Amino acid sequence: MLRGTQTKNNLLDGGTIAEQLYATPKDCEDIFDSIEKPSALIATPRPTFIRSGVLTTVRGSAYMEYGNTKVLAIVAPPHELMRASARRVNMGVLNCYVNFAAFATGELESAPERERHLGSMLTKALEPVVCRNELLNFQLDIRVLILDDDGCLLSTAINCCGVALVECGISTYDIIAASTACIYRDHVFVNPDAKVEELLWQHRGGNALVGATADTTSTPPVVREHGLLVTASMDTFEQIAQCQQCGYLKPATYARLLDCTLEINKSLRELIKNTIRARVKEQYALDLREQAESAQEDERLKTVIESLKQQGLDEFIQSNIKEDPYTKR
Amino acid sequence: MAYVALSEAEKTFILHGVEEDYRCDGRSRRDYRPMELETGLVSNASGSARLRLANTDILVGVKTEIDVPHQLTPEFGKLEFFVDCSANATPEFEGRGGSDLAQELILSLKNAYESPFAFDYRSLCLIPGQQCWKLYIDILILECGGNLYDAVSLAAKAALFNTKLPRVTATLLDAGITDLIISDNPYDCTRIGIETVPLLVTVCKIGDFCLVDPSAEEEACSTVSMVVAVSQRNNEAFLSGTHMTGGGSMHRDTMLNCLQLGLSIGDYLDKLLVKMLKQEQERVGPKRPKIVGFLK
Repeated sequence: MLRGTQTKNNLLDGGTIAEQLYATPKDCEDIFDSIEKPSALIATPRPTFIRSGVLTTVRGSAYMEYGNTKVLAIVAPPHELMRASARRVNMGVLNCYVNFAAFATGELESAPERERHLGSMLTKALEPVVCRNELLNFQLDIRVLILDDDGCLLSTAINCCGVALVECGISTYDIIAASTACIYRDHVFVNPDAKVEELLWQHRGGNALVGATADTTSTPPVVREHGLLVTASMDTFEQIAQCQQCGYLKPATYARLLDCTLEINKSLRELIKNTIRARVKEQYALDLREQAESAQEDERLKTVIESLKQQGLDEFIQSNIKEDPYTKR
Repeated sequence: MAYVALSEAEKTFILHGVEEDYRCDGRSRRDYRPMELETGLVSNASGSARLRLANTDILVGVKTEIDVPHQLTPEFGKLEFFVDCSANATPEFEGRGGSDLAQELILSLKNAYESPFAFDYRSLCLIPGQQCWKLYIDILILECGGNLYDAVSLAAKAALFNTKLPRVTATLLDAGITDLIISDNPYDCTRIGIETVPLLVTVCKIGDFCLVDPSAEEEACSTVSMVVAVSQRNNEAFLSGTHMTGGGSMHRDTMLNCLQLGLSIGDYLDKLLVKMLKQEQERVGPKRPKIVGFLK
């Protein structure tokens, strides 16, 4: 009876792209069947690549790949607050802006709303880590560009921003690390990819109440927990900076997912630490080279001045004139 | 949140009070301030509620509209939240000043109501795949006296309880097109089940202690608070969305303690709210006598 109108994009060469991955609730089932379900809970991060200082145009920048999720974070040096009303708070103000690259996501309609949501969650997660008391009457703008979305967006953005903050030289209380875990149909997915997150998002798409079709209204439907948990932690004093949950969970499951994400955060933290350390070493090597170069330059200038003093100006100029092969005297 | 001017001495006073389990207004750490709740005040809305939690004043109106369900959720209705921070509350909300706060409230409400377990979207369905109810929950913040999350969610739940959807009958025309006939009798209506509708409980951490229902002054002293959305289903408490706000961090154990406190308070609050709503309904009866007005 119901047939979703499947709109198709025609490419120049005649190929088509299906705009919607899911047209009917049945498709959700098919997708769920096709994805790999984890057999055991393994609390390890995905293959990760972090590099700080990728851009020369801004003070602090970092690029991170978390599996296939690719994120770029930019931190500009703090600048004075514009709004007078915000000055009354005796803390600096943090603003995070998240943007999807136009090619990062298929659904362009929901992107602005997701951007806003991610921005506000990111601000909340980073507020505890930045020493805001040092930025009195200043605001710190953090911009995140999402290049590719394969799940764990918020946690990747938090990790990436943490590195970018250090690169920018903003004082922080600790290193922040974040990770995601979710539960869907009794399977715990650690670092859920885009497919799983999409399913979870569409979960309210009728599949939540399994077996609760119209005729079984008399018996209460079985509650099948589903939900997503993003935890950002600062491990020196075992502090949790942000813990966002959505879905429908029992408190016990919540604690289980929390411990799982904290475990991942520990290994991510080591990785971030190593990245920052490597970056400092690299910067030190660069500084040394620069020093050596400038010393060399000084040396050269010194000899020039020396000869200038000895020979006098005219002689010096004469000695430095190279003979021109084309004009004969 | 709205700005409150507090000196260091006042903050210390509040902090000591919390440590002694005897807050400025005489409450213990687990007590709420007195609440006033009225439903059915706005005659233009399908359902409405006004909640006054000490100095916090919230007015919620629920409007209904017929819409086409999303194709992925053919049997689900729709909900939409809107929060308006009135400039009456504080001068800061003038112009676009309150939009950040409003956005935050909308996001957390949306998050809490997201799951089909938390809100029965099926009850809003008219004809699967073709017609469904869309509820617009408009929340107006008239006065800001702290603890907005709790007050807003309580008022929203009360307004949903009060909402009356007109009875609709469908006639099948040719070619599978259906026509809806809305009942002429204004008292012939259906209600929305609110048993599982979540409540938000803000657990605020001041010093080393956690407390509920912070006043605006206490909010200014707190380092971090946790918003817990509690939904009751089959006499069991479920979490339907939690997050931390306030710009601080806390230890894992503290967080789980906050969660426990939030869950137990949410459970208690929910029972009390439902009891009170039923009492009011019995007392008022189906026909509301005459609305005098909610502004004292």
